Amino acid sequence: MKLLTHNMLTSHVKGVIKGYPLLIKATEVKVNEVEFNPQFVSRMIPKLEWSALVQAAEELGQRQDLPSDLVPDYETNEEFLKKVHRVLLEVEVVEGCLQCPESGREFPISRGIPNMLLNEDEV
Amino acid sequence: MCHLRENPHIQHTALPSSSCTDCDTTGGDVITVTVGATVPTGFEHTAAEEVKEKIGVDARISKDRGRIYFPITTDKLFQVHLLRSVDNLFVVVQEYEHYQFSESKEETLIDLQQLASKLPWTNALEVWKLNSTLKKKKGHRRGGNGSKGKPNSEAHDATAVDNEQQELPQASPTAEGQSDVEPTAQTDTCSQDVEEATPEAKVIKFRVTCSRAGDKHSFSSNEAARDFGGAVQEFFEWKADMTKFDIEVLLNIHNNEVVIGIALTEESLHRRNISHFGPTTLRSTLCYGMLRLCKPQASDIILDPMCGTGAIPLEGAIEFHNSFYIAGDNNDMAVNRTVNNICHIQKRRADKGSASGLPIDTVQWDLCNLPIRTSSVDIIITDMPFGKRMGSRKKNWDLYPSCLREMARVSRPGSGKAVLLTQDKKCFAKAISRMGGLWRKLHTVWVNVGGLHAGVYLLKRTGALFGQTPEDVYESRGPVERQEKDDTELS
Repeated sequence: MKLLTHNMLTSHVKGVIKGYPLLIKATEVKVNEVEFNPQFVSRMIPKLEWSALVQAAEELGQRQDLPSDLVPDYETNEEFLKKVHRVLLEVEVVEGCLQCPESGREFPISRGIPNMLLNEDEV
Repeated sequence: MCHLRENPHIQHTALPSSSCTDCDTTGGDVITVTVGATVPTGFEHTAAEEVKEKIGVDARISKDRGRIYFPITTDKLFQVHLLRSVDNLFVVVQEYEHYQFSESKEETLIDLQQLASKLPWTNALEVWKLNSTLKKKKGHRRGGNGSKGKPNSEAHDATAVDNEQQELPQASPTAEGQSDVEPTAQTDTCSQDVEEATPEAKVIKFRVTCSRAGDKHSFSSNEAARDFGGAVQEFFEWKADMTKFDIEVLLNIHNNEVVIGIALTEESLHRRNISHFGPTTLRSTLCYGMLRLCKPQASDIILDPMCGTGAIPLEGAIEFHNSFYIAGDNNDMAVNRTVNNICHIQKRRADKGSASGLPIDTVQWDLCNLPIRTSSVDIIITDMPFGKRMGSRKKNWDLYPSCLREMARVSRPGSGKAVLLTQDKKCFAKAISRMGGLWRKLHTVWVNVGGLHAGVYLLKRTGALFGQTPEDVYESRGPVERQEKDDTELS
């Protein structure tokens, strides 16, 4: 599971109001090389919840020097875009789980696939 | 008697005749030929668009569905293998728009036999030879289910030649001089550079495949193939072999339109990305057509909420790689197969030395209750359960409306799009008619999937925010009302 995907995922347990962002508990993380495209990253940033991305990177010990707030004029800041590219697409959680911040419910991640299926009583 | 249409594109351009180490040249004249391609029915225009974009020529869509034709020069031949919307390719030997069939079967078949020696085979055979060279250089893999190699622009290096490959025949069948067009240089010198030298001339093996459509013909496709094939065999002194052939001659008869061609591809191009199949894996050419329809933009978030083996998002991650794909399914086997297919492609890329990571992820989820933020998705693209191949009619009746609602919720209002393939057109039409506040139908493409007629629906997400349209409020009251309708309306 890449952190870009994590940024889109939310807990949908019945009754939960604040199911985002999901907390990450990783037991296996890998870093995979993905071709860098500055335009892709720059256009993706407005679609992200920035603080959730930083928090997730922090949880995995992969934050490095990613700032808490977006830098101005990031569109042309290639160094910054490369850092964002790395955490968005190259860092992957292979094994672990995601946890709903409100209910505590855990969703396992196995082979990089988060299992978000709910039980009947949770829907 | 037969209305002959000469190939209007024959030209000769002299090229420096020196070395032939480059696989793109024949070492001699560059000639122009017409190439035909079979494409998923319904996506002829999409394929023509791709030809225009990647080859720069205008393609002609045939009256015979699922076929397009376009001209190409031999120095650019390799480009045909970059096309992602075509299932099979062939070079045209001759086209007859209004072939006059004789009254009796006997006479018709004799005419076909006589045709064999009159056709302008030369150029087409040159192209076939050139094409065989190209395929060897790219390590093009043989038929079957696997996808070990992909003929695309990623790899230009001449990697291992597959041992299963056919030998490049040395015998040139154009020596008879029956044609008024003859290339001045032979390709023999070129071919020796690329494959193991075979000193003696080998007998070429061939077969004829005939497809016939129309209700006024006095003969069957088998008879035509047999008689035409017999004449071809006599004329060229080739050997007929149904399974291990070097050349496949195509005889396509569609009412009065007759096209004779030579195949440039083997059967399995349309399963190129998938190594781990599922029960309903969609062919890659169809996936490509659907993706082209929704025009993925840079940084689009694209979801396939019922991904099966991941064919659609994987094709997207490769061909439209400036977007990000999330493939999801509720089924264990499906998500595992999807990950296997992704890993397979990534490993292939890593082996070639390129950055292997693809912009795609896989999640296990319930599509009627997506764990995705509201209004965050740009495109939803999927193959919805058909009811015959998977799922059931009754299940679809409940599934489709819930699906559409949930997909509307996650889609970006105003700009979001959906491209949905389904065979259950009645159920879909009903579901969509109740969703006017959330989805608008833009376009429908009628296709053929595994013999079943299906529709690819292109939808646009309206600007209405979710939770505020009458549809949301009504639908959220639960399945009780629908139950009664099921019993009376289901056929």
